[in-house]
Amino acid sequence: MRDDDEAVIGENPAGWITAIAARQDRAAFAALFAFYAPRIKTMLMRAGASADAGEDFAQEALLTIWRKAAYFDPDRASASAWVYTIARNLRIDRLRRDKRSKLHALYEMVEAEEPDRPDVALSSAERDERVCAALSQIPEEQARVLRLSFFEERAHGEIAEKLNLPLGTVKSRLRLAMSRLRNLLGDLS
Amino acid sequence: MTITHHPSDATLAAFASGTLDEARALVVATHLSLCAECRKAVRAFEHVGGALLDDLQPAEISAGALERAMAQLGAPEAISPVPRDQRLKNLPAPLSQYELGSWRWIGRGVQYRSVPVSSAEGGRVFMLKAAPGTRLPRHRHTGTEWTCVFDGAFQHDFGRYGPGDFDEADETMEHNPVVEDGVPCICLVALKGSIELQGWMGRLLQPLIRI
Repeated sequence: MRDDDEAVIGENPAGWITAIAARQDRAAFAALFAFYAPRIKTMLMRAGASADAGEDFAQEALLTIWRKAAYFDPDRASASAWVYTIARNLRIDRLRRDKRSKLHALYEMVEAEEPDRPDVALSSAERDERVCAALSQIPEEQARVLRLSFFEERAHGEIAEKLNLPLGTVKSRLRLAMSRLRNLLGDLS
Repeated sequence: MTITHHPSDATLAAFASGTLDEARALVVATHLSLCAECRKAVRAFEHVGGALLDDLQPAEISAGALERAMAQLGAPEAISPVPRDQRLKNLPAPLSQYELGSWRWIGRGVQYRSVPVSSAEGGRVFMLKAAPGTRLPRHRHTGTEWTCVFDGAFQHDFGRYGPGDFDEADETMEHNPVVEDGVPCICLVALKGSIELQGWMGRLLQPLIRI
């Protein structure tokens, strides 16, 4: 286990987030911003946002990460998974069509459930390796459908149209990809 | 609580990727609040989301964006528990977000209570409480009907559904649930599209069910 206080800039995203939580480390924030702001902007643009809206959103996501850094628990999630959930929740909050929607609060509630002990103790980097290894085992045709469903908020019918595939094929590729990933990663947390 | 029926992997992944509408997300969140196994699966899919995020092509960020963000950095939050409405302590946590309607009878042995989710996505959510032995009208769906049981149990052609169980029914299924003897069956239902009831009792109930 790494000593969080020893985390050095340039080491890894989990170290940056714990440095922010431990001592409001601004250099760690800058490193995290350089890596994630451009990717979160892409994530929003894939979901249909303009470049300007995507950038505002990325900015807000990084500020949220700064505020909530104390909630990051490297024993339960890799840095990328945690950043992803922050961006996802913010996207839900920003893109909701109805301001009365409680969807965002629902996610926060599920995340606040009593933490289950992870089946295996892994560092953030080890988790990332496991996930990358699992994704590399998914055939490209399934991975493509998977990326579309994660980032473009597309209904299965739209994915089918975009890829010029029958709806049943899209659904079965997604189903295969998900159950494979769950088998490979179900013990992650 | 022994849970036999869970949401499909595709549904858990859709929850993890934040693409379900509020109605369906609420029923899934309710199941998650009762099922550690599915919470693990959602977390696994969130890790997939994280890996896919790391892999995205970085967009160009305008000059000065980092400086503008740095200028806004304030004090980080201390960890605080999510407040919970104590009046609803007998219900799964996600429901405490909502002002529930009062129970009203919609047929012999069956009570209904509305759950006001946002209607923008076209889904509806309600709780049902059915007396032991109640036979619900045979019906078919034109959309999806997702159900999470809190208490009691019902059975239909596809199995027995007790506390915590999740039933993901779609337009390919036609069923007539029967409530088990013992205690009333209380469940949360998200409907997308409409249900078509068959038989005379169904026709009687139809206007009431089209809530």
